[in-house]
Amino acid sequence: MMLTLLLTPAVIMFFVSFLKNERSKYLLAFTSFVILLPIVKLFLLPKPYAILDTYLVADRLDTYILLVSSIVGIGVTLALLTLDKHVKVSPKAYKKFYRFFAIFWVGLIFSILSNHMGIYWIGLELATLSTVYMIKTNYTSAAHKEAWNYMIVGAIGVSLVLFGIILIYASAKPILGEEAMNFDLLLAHANEIPSPFLFEIGFAITTIGMFVKMGFFPMNLWLANIERASFYPVAALFSGILESAVIVGFFRFSQIAMKINYNHLFIFVFAYTILTIFIVSFLIFRAKDFIRLFSLSGIEHMALIVIFWVSGAPFAALLHFGAHAFLKPALFLSAGVLESNGKYKIAGALKGYTDIKGTIFKFLISLFLLAIISIPPSPMFFSELYGFAAMINTAKSSDNILAMIGAILFLLILLSIIFYRFSAIYQSMQYEGEQHNKKVYISELFSLVIFTISLMILLLPSTLAYLKSIV
Amino acid sequence: MVDFLIGLFLASLIVSLFTTRLYRLLLWYSMNSLTLGILALSIGKSLDDRAMFITGVMTILLKAVGIPFVLKNLSVKFNFVRQITPEIKVQYSIMLIPAILVFTFYLSEPIVHMIHTNANYVAISISSLFLSLLLMMEHKNVAPKIIGFLSMENSLFLLGITATNGMPMLVELGIFFDLLMAIVVINLLFHKEELKV
Amino acid sequence: MIIYIFGIVLLILIAPLLLSFIKATKMVLLYKRPISIFQGYRNFNKLLNKENIISRESSAITKYAPFLVLSPLIIVMFFLPPLVHGSYYVSFVDAFTITGLVSLSTFFLMLLGLDSASAFGGMGSSREAFISALVEPAMVLTIFSVSLMAGNLGVGQAGVNLAEHFPQEHMASFLFSGISFFILLMAENGRIPVDNPETHLELTMVHEAMILDLTGLYLALIEMASSIKFVIFASLFASLFIPFGYGFGVLTAFLFFIIKLFIIAFVVALLEVHTAKLRLFKIPNLLGIAIVFAFLSLITFYVLGA
Repeated sequence: MMLTLLLTPAVIMFFVSFLKNERSKYLLAFTSFVILLPIVKLFLLPKPYAILDTYLVADRLDTYILLVSSIVGIGVTLALLTLDKHVKVSPKAYKKFYRFFAIFWVGLIFSILSNHMGIYWIGLELATLSTVYMIKTNYTSAAHKEAWNYMIVGAIGVSLVLFGIILIYASAKPILGEEAMNFDLLLAHANEIPSPFLFEIGFAITTIGMFVKMGFFPMNLWLANIERASFYPVAALFSGILESAVIVGFFRFSQIAMKINYNHLFIFVFAYTILTIFIVSFLIFRAKDFIRLFSLSGIEHMALIVIFWVSGAPFAALLHFGAHAFLKPALFLSAGVLESNGKYKIAGALKGYTDIKGTIFKFLISLFLLAIISIPPSPMFFSELYGFAAMINTAKSSDNILAMIGAILFLLILLSIIFYRFSAIYQSMQYEGEQHNKKVYISELFSLVIFTISLMILLLPSTLAYLKSIV
Repeated sequence: MVDFLIGLFLASLIVSLFTTRLYRLLLWYSMNSLTLGILALSIGKSLDDRAMFITGVMTILLKAVGIPFVLKNLSVKFNFVRQITPEIKVQYSIMLIPAILVFTFYLSEPIVHMIHTNANYVAISISSLFLSLLLMMEHKNVAPKIIGFLSMENSLFLLGITATNGMPMLVELGIFFDLLMAIVVINLLFHKEELKV
Repeated sequence: MIIYIFGIVLLILIAPLLLSFIKATKMVLLYKRPISIFQGYRNFNKLLNKENIISRESSAITKYAPFLVLSPLIIVMFFLPPLVHGSYYVSFVDAFTITGLVSLSTFFLMLLGLDSASAFGGMGSSREAFISALVEPAMVLTIFSVSLMAGNLGVGQAGVNLAEHFPQEHMASFLFSGISFFILLMAENGRIPVDNPETHLELTMVHEAMILDLTGLYLALIEMASSIKFVIFASLFASLFIPFGYGFGVLTAFLFFIIKLFIIAFVVALLEVHTAKLRLFKIPNLLGIAIVFAFLSLITFYVLGA
């Protein structure tokens, strides 16, 4: 029942996208707003709520992530209404976008809500493959090439995830039988797994697959190139929603791995993420356009979320996740508006917005830019504070506290490089360059306002309490 | 018998790493999938597992016949480059492939002591995963990269069949569905559309 | 002992038959009218009746080399695994000895090519050196890994062991070494992907280039050597990689062994028809595959035991 409710908007969207009628565009947009309703209903239900047997189970973690994703989805589709004012796009591409967005949404619901490794993977693959075609809604040869790139690298990442899943399944099958695919049973019986080595190899391969998909260490630039080549709402979808589907898998797998051998997990993930942030911070320092800049900063924040999660601060990780999921799409959308089909560059991007709408827009962008580099009222500031505190707490119990403090200092230096770069970019946006007359549309402004309100809601004490109660 | 089929599986993958012609590569991929299908059938027979039979038959129909056929049609339709020379020189791959094999075999050596059914197939499927990654790496054209991706899927299946004695039916069907979806997306990607406003 | 001698004589006798059989099969497959499968004997007879002419530039090596090409191969014949159950065999000769003797024969062949002082001879010798240098490591590895699977380093004993209890559990590494050995069989005998034994086109020939100057008895000896070399490789393949039918009665076993040889010859002919000759500098690629497979079979055996 709940499942039908969740899937109906996507199915309607899929079929409506085949209609030839001009009006269907509005119907599509409207349907994409409806995705929020069943999710809010799901959010209010008592947890854990079995949607489909033991295959799809809604608990606090995944409903939170699904709720965040659906808000992002609405914001993105709002901004999509005036996409043709900023970039050249054919009406056919619109419908294709919605068609694949529907498939994407189905895959996403399955992968986020799944309590079953197999279904998680199937949903992830479905979401990945459908985004491939979304990139191609931009009919340029660069987008064509990057779509291939995404197809191949994404497929490698996802296949690595499946490979690891099979190994994990093989490690737990002797005690759990066919049930060894269920996350909750695996978590409950983690200490009884007869061959922890097999599990750890499986976990390592899965994690590397996920990290490849999120753009971690060896594959730092591929996501940036793809988001550069595609339309900005697609880029927003990538960083806001698709990565959340990946990271929810990481949360679940690492929960099990923590029980099996915490030290191995911690050292592996810690080394990997620090290496990622080290490289990404210098890449950010050299980034020359908005989309690449934000995409690389997305990688940085994902790495921070991962590091917070494994160092025993799930609250910080979830807060950071929520803040990033709202901020990054907002930034991508506003970057798309600022660039307006590549007419404008970073220098002077904020100049020329004169009317009331423009002023609000300018204000919101400044807010977002300051929030993404964790200036105090931003939720990111609190999550980083909590996260670093948790890291030190974890290290206190062992005897490598000095190494941990050194690592945190190193991380802070890297973060300050990013901070410096962002503030330099903000100044260049504000004070350099030439003045042009620019326009911003009400739907874009509305979607940015939605993101701002959601960010503020994240900071409410009751939300923070809820986040603390999740894990 | 199972050992023999596994050997054929790895052998066809290694030979496809040295291939320089597209159709020959498709042939090796099809051989690879065929051995996989027969492997599934023979393991299914020894375990008396009906789901494994379905998997085996579907593998043979879909991967050994269907996908090479579709790819061949696509290559005619979109004029693929059929002469595919690996970017990595043969003398380097001669050194690289044994290095990969030794590495993966030793990597999975502890597993051999842990699980007792078909233990060393885990090693072979991990090494074939790496080899298909190498196949993707050593070509610049799209078509061999697709084949590399598909043979990666094959090595996943090999792992699923041998290490776990078959995954749940639901998951295997889901994987097949995703594979079909991938083929559809690949087909769509080849259509290069121009901007019409 | 009688069976042993009889087996060797039989193999030497059917050696020209096998090569003519390959040629005839190829002609049938190419829709030509096939030559008689006894053509090899006729050629031999014809060459024996011819006068010996030796180039004025060549030294004494040309006189001795054909015998020295043939004799190591004849010695190798004595070390082959037994054809039938109950026959005498030499058990202690290992992969190195056999490879060494085969390359000794190749060495004299190359000397012969150089000695003729023609441009082609030198070219052929250098090409032969190039190929056999690549063949040898793979061959040692392959025979070595099969001997390990059989549990004895001696090739003769290995063949017997394989025939008596076939290593079912090492099927994968067995297959790999089989593939590797088959490639070597094609390469070392100058069959098509490596060398075309039928043309005298100067761009492609390897084996023919070295013996371009010879006639009469010397050519007959060299032709005999090359057919015996094929028989050596084919019977090694038959007894190491198709080790079945060893336990039958003496006559049946001989017949079965000869049928296996003919099957191998048929497969060689089939492959020759279906593949194009490789460019000379692509040959390392093919032999590289052989080396990879030989190595793979060794490590699969050692590490995985599969």
